Amino acid sequence: MIERFKPVWQRWVGRRIPPASRVELDHRRIFILPTRVGGTYALILFLLLLVSINYQNSLAYGLTFLMLSVGVLAILHTYRNISGLVLSGGHARSVFVGEPVQLRLRLESTGHGHQAIALGWDSEQLEQTDVEAERLVEVGLTLPALKRGWMRAPRLRVESVFPLGIFRAWSWLDLEQTVLIYPQPLAGTMPLLQGVQPHAEDDGHATTGPGVDDYQGLRLWQPGDSMRRMHWKAWSRGQGLMVKEFSDLSGHDLCLDFMALGGDIEERLSRLCYWVLELSQRQQPFALRLPGFISAVDSGDAHREACLRELALYGVRA
Amino acid sequence: MTSSSLAKPIPRVSLNWLLIAQALVIVPFALHVPVALIVLWLVCSFWRIQIFRMRVRMPGTWIKSGLLVGTAGGIYLARGSLIGLDAGAALLIAAFILKMLEMQNRRDALVLIFLGFFCIAVGYLFEDSLLWGLFTLLPITTLLAALIGLQQSGISSKPAATLRLSAKLLLQAVPLMILLFLFFPRLDPLWSLPQPSNKALTGLSDSMAPGDIAELSKSAELVFRASFDGPLPPRNQLYWRALTLEQFDGRRWSQSSRAQVPDAPLWRREGERVSYSVVLEPTGKPWLMTLDVGQTDLAGVRQMSDFRWQRRRPIEQSMLYNAESWPDAVRETVLSDGARLQALQLPAKGNPQVREWAADLHRRHPGTDDVVDALLSYFTSQPFRYTLKPPTLSANSIDDFLFGSRAGFCAHYAGAMTFALRAAGVPARVVAGYQGGELNPDGNYLTVRQFDAHAWVEYWQPNVGWRSVDPTAAVAPARVEQGLEQALAADEEFLGDSPMSALRYRHLAWVNSIRMGWDNLNYGWQRWVLGYQGQQQLQVLGRWFSGFQAPVFAGGAAVILGLLALWLFKPWRRESDSQLRLFNHFERLLARQGLKRQPGEGAQAFAQRAAEQLPAHAGAIRDFVGEFEAQRYAGADGSVGALRQRLKSLRRSLPWRLSAVRGKRP
Repeated sequence: MIERFKPVWQRWVGRRIPPASRVELDHRRIFILPTRVGGTYALILFLLLLVSINYQNSLAYGLTFLMLSVGVLAILHTYRNISGLVLSGGHARSVFVGEPVQLRLRLESTGHGHQAIALGWDSEQLEQTDVEAERLVEVGLTLPALKRGWMRAPRLRVESVFPLGIFRAWSWLDLEQTVLIYPQPLAGTMPLLQGVQPHAEDDGHATTGPGVDDYQGLRLWQPGDSMRRMHWKAWSRGQGLMVKEFSDLSGHDLCLDFMALGGDIEERLSRLCYWVLELSQRQQPFALRLPGFISAVDSGDAHREACLRELALYGVRA
Repeated sequence: MTSSSLAKPIPRVSLNWLLIAQALVIVPFALHVPVALIVLWLVCSFWRIQIFRMRVRMPGTWIKSGLLVGTAGGIYLARGSLIGLDAGAALLIAAFILKMLEMQNRRDALVLIFLGFFCIAVGYLFEDSLLWGLFTLLPITTLLAALIGLQQSGISSKPAATLRLSAKLLLQAVPLMILLFLFFPRLDPLWSLPQPSNKALTGLSDSMAPGDIAELSKSAELVFRASFDGPLPPRNQLYWRALTLEQFDGRRWSQSSRAQVPDAPLWRREGERVSYSVVLEPTGKPWLMTLDVGQTDLAGVRQMSDFRWQRRRPIEQSMLYNAESWPDAVRETVLSDGARLQALQLPAKGNPQVREWAADLHRRHPGTDDVVDALLSYFTSQPFRYTLKPPTLSANSIDDFLFGSRAGFCAHYAGAMTFALRAAGVPARVVAGYQGGELNPDGNYLTVRQFDAHAWVEYWQPNVGWRSVDPTAAVAPARVEQGLEQALAADEEFLGDSPMSALRYRHLAWVNSIRMGWDNLNYGWQRWVLGYQGQQQLQVLGRWFSGFQAPVFAGGAAVILGLLALWLFKPWRRESDSQLRLFNHFERLLARQGLKRQPGEGAQAFAQRAAEQLPAHAGAIRDFVGEFEAQRYAGADGSVGALRQRLKSLRRSLPWRLSAVRGKRP
């Protein structure tokens, strides 16, 4: 029954609280309902009223009405506690499928303080925080990255039952937080482009695997050189920090190719992803070829990010 | 709170407030529950504190069940039952104590807090004085503080802050509470419940030996207070009738069996009407006090054959009623044979001297009034003495009193005169009640205390009916004109057994004015708060808002909540927020130009991008954002007006819509 109305409810929420990167909680966005504790409170009020009526006791009436008024006031206080809170989503770092996404949220008070604000994706797991008056608080929330491509964070639940716990004021916010999820890296043989390398025939078998690297000699270490290529033996002999220099055996560039792999698309992308990371770590220039896309031969962080982005978005944006 | 947060352990602040609240709830109960419960409470509190300090472990299931059964058994032994209000209250308090011991998580703490509120309400059934009412504000505030302390917030870990917030909540709730109190319709009890039993209540009883009223006169306990609608009648007419005593066994006067039959006698209103309202304290007896013969509009009250007003149930809680009296009413001109025999009843033997003397009076005075006059003149002419400590009398007590000791209290005089009248063939009976009362000039009401207890005589003649006569007035006019204190001889101390009573220091003006003021306050409390039930509520509401109760209530609630909301939200104080509002406005302005701020993009970066896209307005954009950043982040002193001015100039410079540029979105 509830499941059937869920889409209706979500559409309605979507209309009522349109997505925005920065949201101030106001009367349009705040819902308020009694909690289960509030139900117990009402039951106690009813019992108190019965005692008052049956004993015609004015003081018991007074206590009943005092608690009833406190209950009514709790609506105002709970609403006030959450209203005026400004939420905005921070930038989130891209991760690989299977890793948790760290989403940063900024909670800002524009006037009074906000107590016991709970944030989360569902009502069961919530992060608690206080926002003091005119202060800013950052909260980190995690989401599992399940699929590569752009991930849109679900609607964020912001709620508070402060001060009495008998009413809950809450809102569902879409802070337009999006994260790019890269494919999950999967180890395997290097999928190199067949037939494009000019000297493929000359070198024959040599075009597979990391054994292709040819040792050129030693040069002096410079900051930024990989530790893996340190020539430790030379250092132990007292010849100073030397780095082994390699050059591509074939003298041509590596090109990671989508078509060189078998299996389904996701698996191929995962293998390519692994090699993009691996080659970037070795600081070896490479190109990436996907159907409808070919990158320049390059190395470095920017190149890596560009390649990962292509892998993440392959077939997604089409 | 979600179900998972209810299972979390109780924060320290909440536990502290709970322990304090429990003490505040239980200590005043000390008089009403078995003493062992107080010991149990001390043990459990200590145990609980030790658990919190990790010195001992939580009690196991066996210990808990043992405590539960043991406590219930103990209450059964102490109260003789587990049913009834006394035992019920003791059980409730026991549950409140034991729950504290076994409390583990927030859900248990909630149960404890709600139990505490309930205990306070039950406490009101035992005590409802002004002081008590004020005192209970303390446990209510602490219980609420404990409830706030259960929240997971920074405030909840500060004891003072939780208490302040709870006090604030309660203060803000007061106006609405008063409105509800005034307007909520008071229903009749839905079903009858066990009433609190008032043990050891002093007061008039349904039989009287001469010493009883002397005993009462040692007590300054309040019996009732009365306010008159018109002027106060003269003091010597203030005879408050409770009941009549018609049966004499030679020593005691007691209520006759006839008087138990509800059989309203005939009487005719005559003369002036006196109307008044009475707030009667719990007496444990069913009869009400009226000024001689009157009538009351109270439901569930009947007039009995001796003109007394009686309720079905004894009066266990203070009650307010309105009554009207006609002091000159003509009462029961025709007397039935049964009533006549009862009013002439005398023991078969004893007191021969009086019988003889009365028979002689009857022979000498044919008219009934003449007999009465002769009796009264006997009291005035002989050396009778009014004293609280009369000498002991022999078996023929009335002979002894009239012709021997000649010293006694109102009961002696009333009893002796009734006996003599009956012996002379005049139907007569003793009336027990109160006479006089102390006028409180601040509130213009009478306070009647136990020492105002009095007994007088009623005699009957054909065609005239019953008439009252007070032999004490003949002996000690001061008792009727001024009061007991003035009537007593100098060697007899007034309220000798209670040296601390403020009544003894009436001659000190300031003590007296404090006492009067305090009494007045209590009377107001009883009349306007405790007595604000059924009839009283209808009267007040009718007088103030006749016919407009519902709109006045709804309007009042709306106004109260509106004012509270205004006070809480302070919409006029959104100055600090307006920078942000202006920035949002700025964002909307640029969005119209197709420029949208990216998530995570700072104000400065956004301004840079915007300036590049809209080079014509770069100056205005940088101007605004620069001022915004300076005010908001660099803490520069700038008025919101300056920021608004910059936004205005930017808006004026921008074209209404620029369709060419569209921001790219990821």
